[in-house]
Amino acid sequence: MMARKTAAHASPSRCRLPASALRRRQLAASAWLYLTFLAVATIMAGTFVLAFMASLKVDPLERPFRFYFDQLNPAAWIAAARLGQEGAGDALWGGFSPGAKIAFGVTYAAPADTTIVEPKAEIPRRRPGSGIAAALMRDYAADYASIALKSSSSETMQVRDERGIWQAWPTRTFVYEITYRPDRQNRPRIERTPLNLTAPPSQTLIDSPISPSRSERRGRLLSWDNITPGALGLIFNNYRRVINETADLQTGKSLFGSWLVNSLAIATGRLLLTLVVASLAGYALARLKFRGSRLLFAALIFSMTIPAQVTFVSNYLIFRDLSLLNTPWSVIVVFVASANVLLMKQFFEGFPREIEEAAIVDGANRFQVFWKIVLPNAKPALLVNAILAFQGAWNDFFWPLVLITSPPEALTVQVGLLSLRRSFGGAQGDWGLVLAGAFLSVVPVLILFVLFQRHIVPTQFTKGIT
Amino acid sequence: MLSHPARALAAATMLLGLPAFAEETVRISGWGGSEVAIVNGLLTNVLAEKLAKEGITVEYEPVDGDFSQFILNGLSAGTAPDLFYVDVFWARSIFSAGQAAPVTQDVSGFAANLLQAFTYDGKLFAVPKDFNALAVHFNKDIFDDAGVAYPSDDDTWTTLQAKLVAVHKALPEVDGLCVVPEYARFGAFALSTGWSPLDSQGKTVIDERFRRAFDFYTGLVESGAAVMAADAGQSWTGGCLASERAAIAIEGAWIISALRDGAPNMNLGTVRMPKDPKSGKRGNIVFTVGWSVNAASKVSKAAAKVAEFLTTEEAQQWVLEQGLALPSRTALADNPWLRGGQPEQMASRVVLEGLADDHVSPYFFGDVGGSWMQPINAALNSVFLGEADADAALASAQSAFDRMLAK
Repeated sequence: MMARKTAAHASPSRCRLPASALRRRQLAASAWLYLTFLAVATIMAGTFVLAFMASLKVDPLERPFRFYFDQLNPAAWIAAARLGQEGAGDALWGGFSPGAKIAFGVTYAAPADTTIVEPKAEIPRRRPGSGIAAALMRDYAADYASIALKSSSSETMQVRDERGIWQAWPTRTFVYEITYRPDRQNRPRIERTPLNLTAPPSQTLIDSPISPSRSERRGRLLSWDNITPGALGLIFNNYRRVINETADLQTGKSLFGSWLVNSLAIATGRLLLTLVVASLAGYALARLKFRGSRLLFAALIFSMTIPAQVTFVSNYLIFRDLSLLNTPWSVIVVFVASANVLLMKQFFEGFPREIEEAAIVDGANRFQVFWKIVLPNAKPALLVNAILAFQGAWNDFFWPLVLITSPPEALTVQVGLLSLRRSFGGAQGDWGLVLAGAFLSVVPVLILFVLFQRHIVPTQFTKGIT
Repeated sequence: MLSHPARALAAATMLLGLPAFAEETVRISGWGGSEVAIVNGLLTNVLAEKLAKEGITVEYEPVDGDFSQFILNGLSAGTAPDLFYVDVFWARSIFSAGQAAPVTQDVSGFAANLLQAFTYDGKLFAVPKDFNALAVHFNKDIFDDAGVAYPSDDDTWTTLQAKLVAVHKALPEVDGLCVVPEYARFGAFALSTGWSPLDSQGKTVIDERFRRAFDFYTGLVESGAAVMAADAGQSWTGGCLASERAAIAIEGAWIISALRDGAPNMNLGTVRMPKDPKSGKRGNIVFTVGWSVNAASKVSKAAAKVAEFLTTEEAQQWVLEQGLALPSRTALADNPWLRGGQPEQMASRVVLEGLADDHVSPYFFGDVGGSWMQPINAALNSVFLGEADADAALASAQSAFDRMLAK
């Protein structure tokens, strides 16, 4: 009685809603769901986009974060291309080489009653303070460049002051010409042309082809790291530095390149090993009935609960005794495939037994059944496993950090990124390089994912049963 | 490793009294950062001929990760290089474990207070390669804009503090100094009072003198002379100087290479550490790094030879003149380069003078190692953050020292 009453009272939903109201509800529900997904995606993609933007900046840590800067400004790209063309005949990557003749114009403005003086221009001898760049830097633009004022012109501009009244401010444009001195002996091509302009703080820079890299001496000095960057050299300066400034001191080869190759080799090795072990073990556990198979399976599941750090010392000592430390083999073989085995086992258990029995009736032995019938149809599971294994190995940080410590070219890319963080710019770290390196390290995985992702779903097997 | 014919050849040449010409490869390693340019420059510009003459090939591997972890890991795994850096504050743990071989006994040219920390059991286990001490580095433009007199060699704690307060008052967006809760900086103030880290009985006693320095240092923030480096988004005092957030920084000459990257045009001035107003003395901490030979190295003789080459007067002069590091050899203290007028030269000269301050103590804490600093750092941190007052913080530091040194 009671129950019926409460049910009747509590169920306004039992009487059917009018179709329009139902529809509205459904629409509202899906709108909320859609908005939630959109918000999550924005947050995920947003951080990614912001980090990418920061990786292009001269100072990725700048506060407040700007969304509009030279590296994202097409006008600056064009100016950089022109400067690169004038500096080294290379509009893309720029430089400073014999025959260079660069026109660089800057415009200053000052309040009405202030006179604008010509800034002191100088091509400084800028030495990198730390990192491999400091060891490899041989030629300085300062030794090969001469700078002279070519022309200057005056104008006025309208500026609204803090009370909202328009005022005429004088402006002056100075055009400098930077040339490669013809009297020098060996005449190398130099990658960067720095520039310093020193002017009283009363006058403000309002226009230049590319913005100064930083303002120093409390606004007295504007400094450009490179006034001949070329378009790509401007946008991807940090990326170029990652490749060029992580070089092996003996061979001059880029370390970042060998880190990528090592990571690729290790990830591929681990992928192959995982596929072999996981598919064989998974099939054995799914189909072969042998003594202790349940115990083995239990041990397998249990092993998944042990963190790698627990067995790390003993593993390390084994590798040491096998003389495998500092070789890629140690990182390839130190893998835990139990999750992959489980995945394969579950897949094989769902595989129609009748097909296998038919093959056995036709005279196939166990291995032939596995090799010729089951495995070709296990493509989706194998691909999932392969992607998981590759991605896991690529992103692995702990084992490569512990097992491969030297020489520098033997590191994997993830451990190499750590060394980037420590090596440049003293205690501060050079975050532009770290971010650029991180984005470069994502690229191979991204490519693999795009290539393989469409193979995951359709296979012979799924076609056969659907 | 030598093959048999090569070994025979080596033996034959040795018998003949000729220099052994068997090619030996010595792996050497140090940390990265500004050190890469130093070691690489030495090997390629200064020592290339000498090494070739001795038949030694040097493989240089700068390590950009955590170096002490790298070297301890490598030594226990048997993959460590033949010759490597040891920092004075963790060197002892390697020496006492028997993982380093004694190096040259000819120590005549080196500054005595650098050798002390590398001597264990009466033997020298590392050749000091350079050294550093603290000094006050300041941005002249900030003092000009604020209309405040530059820091000077005659400053005491209080006059320096007054200048910093005046700077912050005139330019509110600038702070005087970014302080860090670390013994590595605060220690210079504590030492100037005459306090010593370990007394004659090997105990650390937090006395009235220590307390005076502690109160001064932790009071800098409240007086408006300083801000905590972390609050300014920096991890060290030099970071604030480079970004013009702070007027001064208390650092060693290593700040020069950081400024080359972060603020290459700074109008830099450098003066010596301020004096304690009560004792009228200066204190300083000496940091040093040496080359140690791996005890398990198969080419330990050649490695010791390389260490010797890397620290010769010629080598150190080159390093000094490049403005890269200060020499551990006393003969170079009056090198003409140091008398130059460039900011880098002046900074190096002032830091070198710091070695002659009244109370100088190496950055070295006996068998306890770097963990000796922990109680002081914790006390500084808790007072800076307002978690504890000085009485409570120092009482707990004292009891931590008593426990640590009782063992």
